[in-house]
Amino acid sequence: MISDFFHPNVGGVENHIFMLSANLIRRGHKVIVITHSHPPDRVGVRWLLPGLKVYYIPFPAIASSATLPNYFTFLPYFRVIIAREHIHLIHAHASLSSLGQEAILHAHHLGVRTVFTDHSLFGFEDAASILTNKLLAAALKNVDAVICVSHTGRENTVLRGQLFEMSEDSSALVVRPNVYVIPNALVAEQFTPATKPVSSETIYIVVLSRLAYRKGIDLLVATAPRICSAFPNVNFIVGGDGPKLNDLLQVRERHLLQDRIELLGPVRHRDVRDVLVRGSIFLNTSLTESFGIAILEAACAGLYVVSTRVGGVPEILPHDMISFAKPEEDDLIRALSEAVAIVSKGQHDPLEAHQKVKNFYNWGEVAERTEIVYDAVVKSEQKDLWTRMQRTMELGPFAGPIYTIILVVDCLFFLFLEWLMPRHDLDFVQMHWEHHNFRHVVQ
Amino acid sequence: MSSEADGWNKVLWERQPFPDNYIHPHSFLSSLRRNPNFKPYTYWPLVLLCCAITQHLATIFTFLAVFVRLKERWLDARVLLWVSIVSFFGGYAMYEILSYSNPVRDAFTRSNTIKSSLLVFLALMGLSPVLRTLTAATSSDSIWALSACLFFLNALLADYSSMKPVRQERLTSVLSMNAAISSSVVLASRLPDDLAVFALVLFAVQLFALFPILRHQLQVTPQVAQILFTLTLCVLSFALTLPLSVSVAYIYAGISITVTFVAPGVLVWAQKYKNEIRGPWDVAVPRLN
Repeated sequence: MISDFFHPNVGGVENHIFMLSANLIRRGHKVIVITHSHPPDRVGVRWLLPGLKVYYIPFPAIASSATLPNYFTFLPYFRVIIAREHIHLIHAHASLSSLGQEAILHAHHLGVRTVFTDHSLFGFEDAASILTNKLLAAALKNVDAVICVSHTGRENTVLRGQLFEMSEDSSALVVRPNVYVIPNALVAEQFTPATKPVSSETIYIVVLSRLAYRKGIDLLVATAPRICSAFPNVNFIVGGDGPKLNDLLQVRERHLLQDRIELLGPVRHRDVRDVLVRGSIFLNTSLTESFGIAILEAACAGLYVVSTRVGGVPEILPHDMISFAKPEEDDLIRALSEAVAIVSKGQHDPLEAHQKVKNFYNWGEVAERTEIVYDAVVKSEQKDLWTRMQRTMELGPFAGPIYTIILVVDCLFFLFLEWLMPRHDLDFVQMHWEHHNFRHVVQ
Repeated sequence: MSSEADGWNKVLWERQPFPDNYIHPHSFLSSLRRNPNFKPYTYWPLVLLCCAITQHLATIFTFLAVFVRLKERWLDARVLLWVSIVSFFGGYAMYEILSYSNPVRDAFTRSNTIKSSLLVFLALMGLSPVLRTLTAATSSDSIWALSACLFFLNALLADYSSMKPVRQERLTSVLSMNAAISSSVVLASRLPDDLAVFALVLFAVQLFALFPILRHQLQVTPQVAQILFTLTLCVLSFALTLPLSVSVAYIYAGISITVTFVAPGVLVWAQKYKNEIRGPWDVAVPRLN
């Protein structure tokens, strides 16, 4: 697994990589993770709990844990690590991770197959998106498989990365056959519902998100006073921090709702479940969401969910567990009123919801489906250098030649490294953590 | 969720009887919308809107012609001064007449306007000796280059938008005015005597700070009036530039014609390449009451 986003950072991508690696190890594979270092001293090789070896490469990170995009500085480290660990396949995560995209570029020198997972949705219009999309299209031209976390995510990735090929009879452009949809999952045991039922007189609506524009806090600020005045027995619990905290504080003061809207500030990941079980309804007002793991965590903890119908959210839960609203104030009020009615009548059973979500999403299944992808990739044919160069040239009149030159220089750099640090001098890894050995020793 | 005929659902919570890379032919990219907000441009209305740019270019070249004449002492500074004062009052009167429909003026604003214009006039008069020696240490070549860059910036960033009911000041329009005033100050410092400096800078303030406001108002007038006004300005600036340098005059004429007639044509032709993609992945715009 190669990504910029890993432990000790906390987030959706990081969690996904860790859980997927843990489950693949449980299925008997050997997994290592390569990521960048964190100051002051998290550099080098570390081990994480279920036998996961993590390499922290000494690259400095700029904004929000992403490293600077470059094409060649990662190659020496990559070559040495992949060769000494006898790796067969690399799996890169997150389109904003330059380590991942570089790894896809370098992998073919060592005969290693590549898989890429895209976790987020991007637009097409602003300058940052245009640049990132072009870089992504270049990286994905020669990747062996692409995994997306939702159907909407797949449509978005296919359009952004231009994952089209000429069909066999050269008549039209069709989507590549190696784009898969494998959803995220969650550990259901960490999000069990409340053991004793919440009081039915007051209904608590829980909101847990970063308080930023992208998460639709403007909608929350507009609807909270109206809901509080329409339903005297409904209170809000808002957790999280961000630039829009001031707006919430102001609306609370303006309408004198200090005892109806409780602001918790930043909530740590291990305390999320305790906050969730205090409520009966979870409100998500995001303006864009590729999967919505927070919604799943809330549904798993037994809450009824109200969410805006954006991105991949319509695909994750059946209709009886979630109410959708357009990202408009009036529609959100309608959906919340519906949710309050359902919960007051007791039509939503938290324990049943928990069981359902437990069956829908689990990491074992995700690992199994990912293994099928790996299998298909390993069995397919590796493209040779000439094909790669031709495919890269198809990128366009300017980007094509530029990326082909990068590819060729990369090959030359690799040959230089083969001469400078020959393979037989490398320190190959002889032993790895084997769980049955550990059990044998311990018993 | 939408259930398709062959049993494929666009859901993630249920494992489908299809492999993970199955793409359903009908529902894939079914919510993709191409160019939903497409309002096609037509040629002649675009040409009319481009008249604002032509007027601006005309004012720049008029200013440059006046500057060269002042420098060569072919124009008396006092004549220019009287022209500035008369055109200020004329322009102000026209502005009042044109904004008759929405009178934001009352006695207080009017007296404020008179007060501030008087203040600017006297301040410039007091500052002109200082301005004359501003760039004494710089050679003329760098002055011409600097002035050209600043005028280019002014033309690039000027506010060419059509009449809006409330005129918002954008950062770029303030920047463009600043560029023009800096350029004229820098040019004025090459002039031989104080009165000429004062006259030129006053003329510049009128042309680049006050005239754009009037130009905005003029866009409410009927089309014939606008075209006539643009034509007058262009002919005037061309006539002023021609005796000074034939090549510059023809270059200016070329630029004017390109901007007014060729550029809209290119924009209309390029519309066929417009490819705006909208879908469920876009960041939604929240609608609040």
